[in-house]
Amino acid sequence: MKKIIKFSIICLTAIFFLASNSCKEDSDTTKPVINLTEPEDGDILQIGDVNGVHLDMELSDNEALASYKIEIHPNFDNHSHAQARDVSETVDFTFNKEWNDIRGKKNADIHHHEIKIPENATPGHYHLMVYCTDVAGNESHVAVSVELSHEEGEPHND
Amino acid sequence: MYIRYIALILIFAYILPLPAQERDSLKTETLSEVVVMGSYANSVKRNSALQVDIVDKNFLQQHFTGNLMQTLEYMPGIHSMDIGSGFSKPMIRGMGFNRISVTENGIKQEGQQWGADHGLEIDAFAVERVTVRKGPSSLLYGSDAMGGVIEISQVPAPSGNQVYGEIAMLGKSVNGTLGASVMAGVRKNSWHTKLRFSEQHFADYRIPADTIVYLTQYLPVHNRKLKNTAGFERDIGLFSEYRKGRYYAHYAVSNAFQKAGFFPGAHGIPEASRLQDDGSSRNIDLPYSSVNHLKITAHQQYAGNKSAVYLDAGFQNNHREEWSLFHTHYGNQPVPVTNPNRELVFSLNTFNSSLRADLIYSPRWKHTFGLDVQYQRNSIGGYSFLLPEYRRFATGALWLGIFRPTGKFSISGGFRYDYGMLDISAFQDVYLEKYLREQNYDSGTVESYRWRSYSVNRHFGDVSGSIGISWIPDKFHQLKVNLGRSFRLPGANELASNGVHHGTFRHEQGNASLVSERGWQLDASYTYEHGNVLFTASPFVSRFDNYIFLKPTGEWSILPHAGQIYRYTGSKAIFTGTEVELRIDFLRNLTYQITGEYVYTHNLDEYTPLSFSPPASLRNSLIWKHGIFQFRAELQSIATQNRVARNEDITHGVNLLHCGATVKILFGNLNADITFSLKNVFNTKYYNHLSFYRKVEIPEPGRNFQFLVKIPFKSRLQ
Repeated sequence: MKKIIKFSIICLTAIFFLASNSCKEDSDTTKPVINLTEPEDGDILQIGDVNGVHLDMELSDNEALASYKIEIHPNFDNHSHAQARDVSETVDFTFNKEWNDIRGKKNADIHHHEIKIPENATPGHYHLMVYCTDVAGNESHVAVSVELSHEEGEPHND
Repeated sequence: MYIRYIALILIFAYILPLPAQERDSLKTETLSEVVVMGSYANSVKRNSALQVDIVDKNFLQQHFTGNLMQTLEYMPGIHSMDIGSGFSKPMIRGMGFNRISVTENGIKQEGQQWGADHGLEIDAFAVERVTVRKGPSSLLYGSDAMGGVIEISQVPAPSGNQVYGEIAMLGKSVNGTLGASVMAGVRKNSWHTKLRFSEQHFADYRIPADTIVYLTQYLPVHNRKLKNTAGFERDIGLFSEYRKGRYYAHYAVSNAFQKAGFFPGAHGIPEASRLQDDGSSRNIDLPYSSVNHLKITAHQQYAGNKSAVYLDAGFQNNHREEWSLFHTHYGNQPVPVTNPNRELVFSLNTFNSSLRADLIYSPRWKHTFGLDVQYQRNSIGGYSFLLPEYRRFATGALWLGIFRPTGKFSISGGFRYDYGMLDISAFQDVYLEKYLREQNYDSGTVESYRWRSYSVNRHFGDVSGSIGISWIPDKFHQLKVNLGRSFRLPGANELASNGVHHGTFRHEQGNASLVSERGWQLDASYTYEHGNVLFTASPFVSRFDNYIFLKPTGEWSILPHAGQIYRYTGSKAIFTGTEVELRIDFLRNLTYQITGEYVYTHNLDEYTPLSFSPPASLRNSLIWKHGIFQFRAELQSIATQNRVARNEDITHGVNLLHCGATVKILFGNLNADITFSLKNVFNTKYYNHLSFYRKVEIPEPGRNFQFLVKIPFKSRLQ
């Protein structure tokens, strides 16, 4: 009797042990890293600036980057998103664009002025969000609060 | 020698295999109260081929927290997925949400259990007995029970005519909880009725941190209290049973209401300006949620000499509302005229019925036949959208047989066929459509985004089954092995959703062509009990041919606040692990207990772990009992969970020390049980991998204490 019990236990243990070791190595679950240097949290972005918004960041991943997206949306009442208001002359500014030119790279220095804020944009508080994915589908994001204003923001150094 | 056989025969006389435990109450009536509990646990455990744990009154009292799942978490293999300290949902062996069934008085609890920020609407004070079945239970419980079942049931009626009751009081420092519950019951001949009223109020949740980090931003936590997380719970329940000869019936009506604020930092994108101290830790401001769960159940049974019939029926209404200051991403949406701040409403009505018949031709064979029917209807409201309206119908027929050639060995097995129908209504967001047109998106893109839910009408047919053995070679050893095939119908969110989920900040997309989740599950359990030593090991391994998970697609969503699109996708997956428990009584008054658990998950298509995999953990506890005193100290060790799914964070391990004491004090002829517990003695800051707050990096409570006072009373009736 004892032998049968011992044998059953050994067999069962073996089955569970084999099952748990039959899997391949885990694939990449490490997120890419976004190091956003410009614009910074609290920066003022100038409305109608023909040079566009100065964007400067480093993206990196342990394996391979895939794509990044920048999104800007209004945050007028400190965040319970604005409701329908009297907007006759200005238009709430939104921006939503993706870039795929980083695919396959481990590191990418991004520096461009492609975000243009038109003259008729409503001044006020906005959120600027940067999203980045790697080839496996790992994603990270960064959010900064910015203010759109007709006044000039801090000067660019480049 | 004879005594041992008689005891075994008595235990088997309970002829209770897997099925619902109401049935044995007929046969336990004639025994005294103490014997009933012991035999009940033994008979259920020995007759089931699956791992079954019975949670008794003492355990419930020692670990009472005012929240049932946080109490059950002390059992190996069980976890509680928390939303602060107030609301939790169960997880068994790494399976949660719709993969676990919770039943109360024989009827499956139906709320919004698919959602990460929804708790379980059950009065913790009213829970007297819990049976936990780990492993595939679809055969008896249908869809959703693939991970296991948590059965809440009533203890048998007190013997002899009497009026009795209980007053309980609870206090917790972690969120200033003050709770009380009053129960009064009367047993008079064939009738037994009890009524319970419970109420709990709690203030803002305390955490051992002054700031939390979210999306690279530091957010302040004023006075180390999470703003606007106060709430309250008010529950009432009536239970009545009638027994006459071979007939037995019970009826239950209960209503649970919960209202609690949402931490503004975890609702929408966090921002420091919304986390300013509001001057009160007990107010419930916007945003908040309220849930009301009404449940009516009825059970009838009649036992003949060689057969028995059981009929259960239930109706439930789960009404959930979320309120948040009107907000929209699309400037063209007008403020609603009535209830302008009511963001979401779900009203889920569920009708259940189940019929079972037992046929016992000989002492060796027992057959159970069953039929289950369920109908659900979900309706929605509010200015926002999360889950569509739907109708769901499910029915299943089952056969279960138990063959017991000798008193030491039994084989049980059965089949079940289920038919399911899900009819989901489409929902289009006209404001989003207008917004996208204004943003000059092409008509194809607008078309794919404006439907927040697609119209889906699906029919499912699923076969489930199981075969298992229970073998008790001698009085020291017990071995169980069970192989089961189980299934789960996809939920409305998995089939039809399309949009940003406000709790997870992800653009989640359903897939209308998903098939049912299905898997093979092998479980074993070995118990050795000799004198003052008890050892149990319960390993398991499951392989799913189709396991539904949210797959990151790498496609960007154009919706504001959304990163990439996550799509519900079926995949092959493996779950394996074990629970181990060792208990030694020594030096007359001391008990040492060690429980450990490990779960390994693997997505065979993605080569990654699955999300919400519980970390390995170990509990070492020492209990000292002497007369009216009982002390316990526990070292809880949680390993680092670095096996995470994509876009899930690693959670570091921790060692925590907890202690507690119970004392029985006599006031005149009243006996008061006072339990005091101190948790996280060293005030360690740590995170819970399974908490809803983990994503927003809100740590678990620091050093905190709680007390529970229970005063039972009774008076004999003529």
